[in-house]
Amino acid sequence: MTETTFGFFDEDAKKEIRRALLKAISLPGYIVPFASREMPIARGWGTGGLQVTLSIIKEDDVLKVIDQGCDGSVNAVNIRDFIVSTTEVDTTSLTAKATVIQTRHRIPEQPLTENQILVFQVPVAEVLTTVEPDTARQKNMHAHREYSRLWVLLYEDTAQYGDSRISNRYPVEINDHYVMDPSPIPRYDIPRLNNNPALLLFGAGREKRIYAIPPYTKVTPLTFVDRDFQVETFPGISCKRCGTSDVFFDEIQGVDGTYYYCSDTANCDSMLNRKQNAA
Amino acid sequence: MSYVAIQGGAEAISASKSLYQKMIHGNFLAKDAQQAPLLFGLDRIMSEGALYSQQLGLKAIKSSGCDLLEAAFYLRAHRSTCQRVGRCSTITSYDIRTIRRISSASKEIPDGQMLGPSSDYILKLLTKKQSFSSKPTKCRATTGQQVASALDELRKQNKIMQPEVNEEEPFDITRSSPLPPYPRSSLMQMMARGETGSMLGFAYTTMRGYGDVHPTIGDLRIGMVAVVYPHPFTGNEVTVGEIRVTAVETVGSFKKDPIDGKLRLATGFGFCFGFNETKAIAMSILDLALTYPSFSIGGTGVATSAEMIIHHIDGIESMGFTNHFKLPHYVTFQADLHTFNTAGEHRDD
Repeated sequence: MTETTFGFFDEDAKKEIRRALLKAISLPGYIVPFASREMPIARGWGTGGLQVTLSIIKEDDVLKVIDQGCDGSVNAVNIRDFIVSTTEVDTTSLTAKATVIQTRHRIPEQPLTENQILVFQVPVAEVLTTVEPDTARQKNMHAHREYSRLWVLLYEDTAQYGDSRISNRYPVEINDHYVMDPSPIPRYDIPRLNNNPALLLFGAGREKRIYAIPPYTKVTPLTFVDRDFQVETFPGISCKRCGTSDVFFDEIQGVDGTYYYCSDTANCDSMLNRKQNAA
Repeated sequence: MSYVAIQGGAEAISASKSLYQKMIHGNFLAKDAQQAPLLFGLDRIMSEGALYSQQLGLKAIKSSGCDLLEAAFYLRAHRSTCQRVGRCSTITSYDIRTIRRISSASKEIPDGQMLGPSSDYILKLLTKKQSFSSKPTKCRATTGQQVASALDELRKQNKIMQPEVNEEEPFDITRSSPLPPYPRSSLMQMMARGETGSMLGFAYTTMRGYGDVHPTIGDLRIGMVAVVYPHPFTGNEVTVGEIRVTAVETVGSFKKDPIDGKLRLATGFGFCFGFNETKAIAMSILDLALTYPSFSIGGTGVATSAEMIIHHIDGIESMGFTNHFKLPHYVTFQADLHTFNTAGEHRDD
């Protein structure tokens, strides 16, 4: 049995993933296949993001892992523990302190910087899957920028329900070219992809795909010219814990009513700190 | 209700792993040491064999050299030798004494999230020594009181579709063969004893590309539930024993309710003997796909076809037929060769 290497993988595996990443960054929004390795964590639980993180992380990186915006949720803890057990890197929950952030379903509330990499865990890499499940035809459609069926899907929903029923994984156009699946982030996070200073990497382990949005790239959700892109709003609502408003909230059904708490728990902590320091 | 930004995730995982270790090493649930490491295999075959007997199940595993398809077959075959004595009272998932209950729909649910024993967060590494909590962790099963579904709040708000039930009595697939249009109860029964792997495969098609179900688990629970049966002489209801079960409710997309045209969320239900979360979740997804087939954005997939599901998920049937090809087919193959040769001669002419 060989010794455990830094970052779990052997160096060839890391190299292969890095090459896929480089190609993905060079072709923003383009889906790059890679030979996804078997992980000791189950497929669908973040193995794509994990492979990306493990192949890019260095000894001096500071790691943050979130799931649903929360550093302490079980899946985030499990993934962080695993990365730390094979790299011994420092971890943090503070968004500003982290150099590599692995996430599932959220983008941290605090704006990211050029020194940060955000790694998304992706369940469905191919945006066309809902309208065309055949892999060969999907590739062809991307090559021709043939996205009419996506537009029809959006149109049918809009005609029936006033807006698309796509609440998360909303299709986005990258740099006026490829249409891409942004992973299951809520609509609220979609505009925050646009012109983001951080490098955004997407890893889908089960689907064996990697893609990327380089820093400061134009990202636009697919919307009709006469309709504005609608995001989730929480008018008049503030966090029961820290009092912040205008962020993305978790809705909690309590025995005596409905409460709202910040989905981004690290941001909630720092808002609460700020409030207590001010008081 | 207390809430902290950083949840006790680390502690919960550690306790969950430790409970799982206890469970498969016989310090919890299993009555004898022989049964404990076989727990999930036993549960799987009791469900697929449609016979809840731990004693016979263990015997079946031994007799089949741990070929679980074959072991389930032993149990299913044994059913034919058992006289039916009657019908127990209806069991609801509310009655389950849960040892694990989670919802991925929201962080906090009435009666709380309870991770319980699970292998979900165990790193699948054979060589690495894994540390488990040395703190004494006790598995607590809820007692006595019913635990409502985490989706009931939405149900109270009338936001969840109620599938139409136009059957006076549930169909009984063990006494008659279901015909189309298949009653939902017949499909649910087929699935409750369906083969885990087949159901997983079909369910995976609908969540991966050939359907639009990417469900949210509204309420998943494993635990023990009492089987209550009317006493043959007194007619009084008596508890004849407890069985391990898994129940899950998943939420899909929303659609127009034909009853009043209002938009409501569609849900699917999965239930099986024993602890088998994979099978129960797959079943709830298939139920969702079958009951609300119009949902598929990408056209219809195999999982929305009752015809496809009802005939192809039974492990005992599909395994039997697949293996029957080992039987002599001398006559049929001779006939095949004959037509093949004739066709060849015809082409050459």
